[in-house]
Amino acid sequence: MIGMILIGIGVGFVLIGTVGILRFRDLYSRLQASGVSDNAGVGLILLGLIVYDGLGPVDLTLGLLLALLVITNPLVTHAIAKSAFVNRHTGREE
Amino acid sequence: MQIIEALLLLSFLAVLFRLFYGPSPWDRLLSYNAASNRLIGLLALLAVMAGKEFYLDMIIVYAAVSFLGVLVIARFMERGELHR
Repeated sequence: MIGMILIGIGVGFVLIGTVGILRFRDLYSRLQASGVSDNAGVGLILLGLIVYDGLGPVDLTLGLLLALLVITNPLVTHAIAKSAFVNRHTGREE
Repeated sequence: MQIIEALLLLSFLAVLFRLFYGPSPWDRLLSYNAASNRLIGLLALLAVMAGKEFYLDMIIVYAAVSFLGVLVIARFMERGELHR
């Protein structure tokens, strides 16, 4: 039951991030919407799956996937933001 | 349970819209990363709910390869050779 609640909250975060990616008008605003809400959403979904599945060897695999995502997702966001900033992309010149 | 999977799939398709119509290359890269995250969540949900836990190994490999690909493309576009 707690796992279902966590999965529901995570899907809510993912949907809010989708609205942010589709509706924001600036590249850096979209980066913030994606980078914050995706990390929280997918992390909460994986945490909810760990709780939902019960104790077992699957928890280690899910924990490894969760650690990989939590480490690599901010790195990707920072790399995209730095790549756009170095090339003097203001986001509003379209 | 299936409504959660349907919502994730809908979110994945909505992010692909930004991938096709993004104004700048960084928008496309950002939305590719977001779509990859949604696909990872959806596949993990399907693997645990269907009881096929060996799918999770493939999801780990997909997450690592997607991270490397996005990072390499971002660093390549930093040099200005793909800049339009």
